[in-house]
Amino acid sequence: MTGAPRLEVLDGGLLTTVQDAGRRDWSHVGVPESGAADRWSLAVSNLLVGNDPSDAVLEATLVGPTLAVLAPITVGLAGADLGARIRGGRRLAPGRSHRLVPGEVLEMPGGDGGERTAGCRAYLAVPGGIDVPLVLGSRSTCLAAAFGGLDGRPVQPGDRIDGRAATFLRPELVWPGDDGQGSTRRLRVLAGPDPAPAALDQILAREWRVAAASDRVGVRLDGEPLPADLGGDATTLGVPWGAIQLPADGHPIVLGADHQTTGGYAVVGVVISADFPVLGQLRPGQAVALVRTVRATALAALLEQRDALVAGAAALREAAGWGTLIDAAGG
Amino acid sequence: MVDEAAIEPFGDAAVLIRLGDRASPALAERAQAIAAQLARARDAAAGFGQAVPAGASVLVPFDPLVLGLDEAIGLAESAIAGAEVRRDERAEAPPIEIPVRYGGGDGPDLTNVAERHGLTPADVVEVHAGALYRVLFLGFAPGFAYLGGLPAEIATPRRTSPRERVPAGTVAIAGDQTAVYPRSMPGGWQLIGRTDVVLFDPDRPDPARFAPGDLVRFVPIRP
Repeated sequence: MTGAPRLEVLDGGLLTTVQDAGRRDWSHVGVPESGAADRWSLAVSNLLVGNDPSDAVLEATLVGPTLAVLAPITVGLAGADLGARIRGGRRLAPGRSHRLVPGEVLEMPGGDGGERTAGCRAYLAVPGGIDVPLVLGSRSTCLAAAFGGLDGRPVQPGDRIDGRAATFLRPELVWPGDDGQGSTRRLRVLAGPDPAPAALDQILAREWRVAAASDRVGVRLDGEPLPADLGGDATTLGVPWGAIQLPADGHPIVLGADHQTTGGYAVVGVVISADFPVLGQLRPGQAVALVRTVRATALAALLEQRDALVAGAAALREAAGWGTLIDAAGG
Repeated sequence: MVDEAAIEPFGDAAVLIRLGDRASPALAERAQAIAAQLARARDAAAGFGQAVPAGASVLVPFDPLVLGLDEAIGLAESAIAGAEVRRDERAEAPPIEIPVRYGGGDGPDLTNVAERHGLTPADVVEVHAGALYRVLFLGFAPGFAYLGGLPAEIATPRRTSPRERVPAGTVAIAGDQTAVYPRSMPGGWQLIGRTDVVLFDPDRPDPARFAPGDLVRFVPIRP
């Protein structure tokens, strides 16, 4: 919207899509929510360049995109460390904003994944949010029906990426808080709605690893399967993000941002909203612990997260000298 | 009609209204009425999400930073009470007609369905196109509507092995339901025909051709 685009995609990486805070008004006709799998990092990447926390960003998966810089631009990086760097030059750490100049090439070759808590999704924000059309109220890519974002598909070589801001240079800032991930791969779970205490007890008691077949639709858990009679087909109902389904094969599936709006498997528990950023960063092969919690803890954790975002946004405004109010509560 | 509806928490950001154990056209209709009532209430209550009706339940999402669980349950209770006295006006609209090319390459399972029931393919077409269907709910994919009302004489279980790709517009049967695939995707239903009607278009103000409660009729295209 402001003349020449700022970034050109040289390589799309493994799965890089445009995502914002999701599309929530069409679930009654089967449209998945979509949006960033890790909303905490979505907010942090945006706040680092002075955006609204729910603006559209690039979400990269395991191996990120390679982007040529066509005009000066400041980008905000958050989420997993996928080894972002300037080709032949400096490292670009997550939790910071970075000024890029024409001629530079940004790469995200992938993290080493060796760390127990390494994540799998990185977020790159540009000033004003990525300039793609609103479709059904969101700029997110809906992979299931191929719309939103860049023509409903992952980014590919030749795509131009631009922001919706009037100016593209921002101060280089450091996110003052943590990365929202905690120190362990742990998902806190509320029981229900299906009365399946035996199934939930067994799920909580076992060790699980993130299966390779996991994606934005759901995280599949590998481990000793539960007996078939504890799960299987159930009456189809609307299901929320975080729901833990138990198909007859005995391997639980935790629903993610792109989950189908209805499900026909037994639902034995739901991961609390405050742990969705951890859920959205789980990397195939990682061990993950599921633990039971209660509603009061879930709400306290969510409030703590919201307050941390608000405080971080205020500190960034102070550091940058931005006078404008950025409302972090929507993140 | 006013049987017990159970309201229970579904995680920390939704409640589930259960109307019964098994999906039925009557419970689906009640779920639609409750969802419509909730949609009207959304304008008045901040923090309230889009309700998702299904065959015997309604999912009611809410923002736990804005609404307490008790408030969400209270809104669900009001919607259940309000839905008892209001009928969904959409249900009375004339049926949506879907022209279908039955059989051949468009419906590769038509012959199998006929043989299973000791009928001719023409019989199956006559039965399928002769019935009036109601949209029970949508799910599985954008614009994918579960249609109730399939005559028992052509009800057919899913295929034992799903196809990797079912073309967009394919009309299919599974159990006692029929549906149209809104876009090309894998699927295990019995494929009996195909339509050119676009069932989901995100560029339309109302993107899905079918809404919960709509009446649908299939009209054979004679070659």
